[in-house]
Amino acid sequence: MDIFLKLGKRKGGKDMEKKEIMIHLEGISKSFPQKRGSLEVLKEIDLQIEKGEVFGIIGMSGAGKSTLVRCINLLERPTKGRVYLDGAELTCLPEKELRQQRHSMGMIFQQFHLLMQRTALENVCFPLEISGVPKEMARARAEELLDLVGLGERLGAYPSQLSGGQKQRVAIARALATEPKVLLCDEATSALDPNTTAGVLRLLKDINERLGITIVVITHEMSVIQEICNRVAIIDDGQIAEMGGVEEIFRAPKTQPGRELVYHEGARREALEGPMENCYRVVFRGGISGDPILGGMMVECNAVANILSGNTRMLDGRVYGQMMIQLPEDKEMREKMLAYLREREVEVEEVHYV
Amino acid sequence: MFKEGMMALVGVAFWESIYMTLISTFFAYLIGLPLGLILVMTDGEGVRPMPIVHQTLGIIINIVRSVPFLILFVTIMPFTKLAVGTTIGPKAAIVGLLVAAAPFIARLVESSLKEVEKGVIEAAQSMGASPLQILVKVLIPEAKPSLLVGSAIAVTTILGYSAMAGFLGGGGLGAIAINYGVHRGQRDIMYVMVVLLVIIVQVLQEFGMQIAKRTDKRL
Repeated sequence: MDIFLKLGKRKGGKDMEKKEIMIHLEGISKSFPQKRGSLEVLKEIDLQIEKGEVFGIIGMSGAGKSTLVRCINLLERPTKGRVYLDGAELTCLPEKELRQQRHSMGMIFQQFHLLMQRTALENVCFPLEISGVPKEMARARAEELLDLVGLGERLGAYPSQLSGGQKQRVAIARALATEPKVLLCDEATSALDPNTTAGVLRLLKDINERLGITIVVITHEMSVIQEICNRVAIIDDGQIAEMGGVEEIFRAPKTQPGRELVYHEGARREALEGPMENCYRVVFRGGISGDPILGGMMVECNAVANILSGNTRMLDGRVYGQMMIQLPEDKEMREKMLAYLREREVEVEEVHYV
Repeated sequence: MFKEGMMALVGVAFWESIYMTLISTFFAYLIGLPLGLILVMTDGEGVRPMPIVHQTLGIIINIVRSVPFLILFVTIMPFTKLAVGTTIGPKAAIVGLLVAAAPFIARLVESSLKEVEKGVIEAAQSMGASPLQILVKVLIPEAKPSLLVGSAIAVTTILGYSAMAGFLGGGGLGAIAINYGVHRGQRDIMYVMVVLLVIIVQVLQEFGMQIAKRTDKRL
């Protein structure tokens, strides 16, 4: 039986009719009892993740994102609130039925969590054994899945014989074995080097497009979000600080946590440098990244701008450059330079922290 | 040094020791293994937290473990009599040994299973595995090498106990070492018995470690 033919009939991520909700979190709060009182990790989180999208949840460590993803498959029971999967409430289910529902949610982890005493093939068979699939069928399906993730040649290898990237591929194959509707990724690439990360992200994107599986990505790296997500929620201090399309949030983050993540990958630099004067963030879009706009501005105005930082990113196949600059104190000169930039359709925004 | 008949005596004692050790290890595992599994499963952080069961069992195990072996052996003699009909000889020794060893084995099993990474268990839970499935398909297979190392430790410890059982008419090499070496002052015979015990321990320990190493896929 070819599961991928069957799965292939599900519509791929992009051409889906939108607004069908796959995961719905309603007023999710979670607190952990402490020696004195309790620690509130999540506060009244409302979140809707659409069918077939790749949804990112980003935040700095300690923001509560790992707890949030565990509330989706109820590895952590929220203290308050409800979780719905594909329209059905999970939070009201008894243990046994919840376990049944978990077959339709795959999960992968930062540290892979493979069974060390089983081969790659046996690892992928594991969730099928658990859900009672006959051995022969499980084996065939596992072989197919390992082929899909590019490990068709390493069926008999034990995890200790595989590299980090290969282990994560086995974990992905394992998570897909029960044909889940949702794949939850908890910092899935944080233990991998940049090259391997890119490969694993491509694989996830491919799975999303080919199988139409809804993917939830938890990460602290903005680059991961930019690489594969359609929408993103920024979690800060147990709350959703900001949510929206990845492009939109990258171009103009509205909140302080959003700015910290977009401008400098979450490094809390203001703590070191304090507020700064006359600083601007310039975003170049698409093709014009090739033009020497800043250089032109400096020549035209006969004044220099102090370049504080800069980088270039790909978002949905388009090039974006962002630069942090500091302009002269002279107000007239500053206005002139800003006018020059605005004429050239680059986005300029004053910032106080760089 | 060895009068006639001594060799035959040692031969019988040698097999008695082996027999006592292996049989009591087997039965001690029948009791200790499930106890160890219950300890791990019912732990507050476990797959099926049951704090009262966990604590009660833990206390009982600690009490039995803290009673010195010889005193334990004497204390349970009425029970031994009831169980095997005698309080001397290898059969009686086996009862004493397994009562003394079972709680020790429960702790060995517990510590082996706790070596299994929590994340692996979490992954199994995320796939919808039940507590029983986690026990049978994750905890035990993943801890297998460590369980085997534990069993090598258990079997050699029980051999040591069995030599002590010789004091109380338990038979085996320990009995000869005590009867001839200590009570009759024939030190040479005592040394020979000790050397034999050392050799058995070495062989069993090495054998256990080798099997453990071969089955471990973590390299």
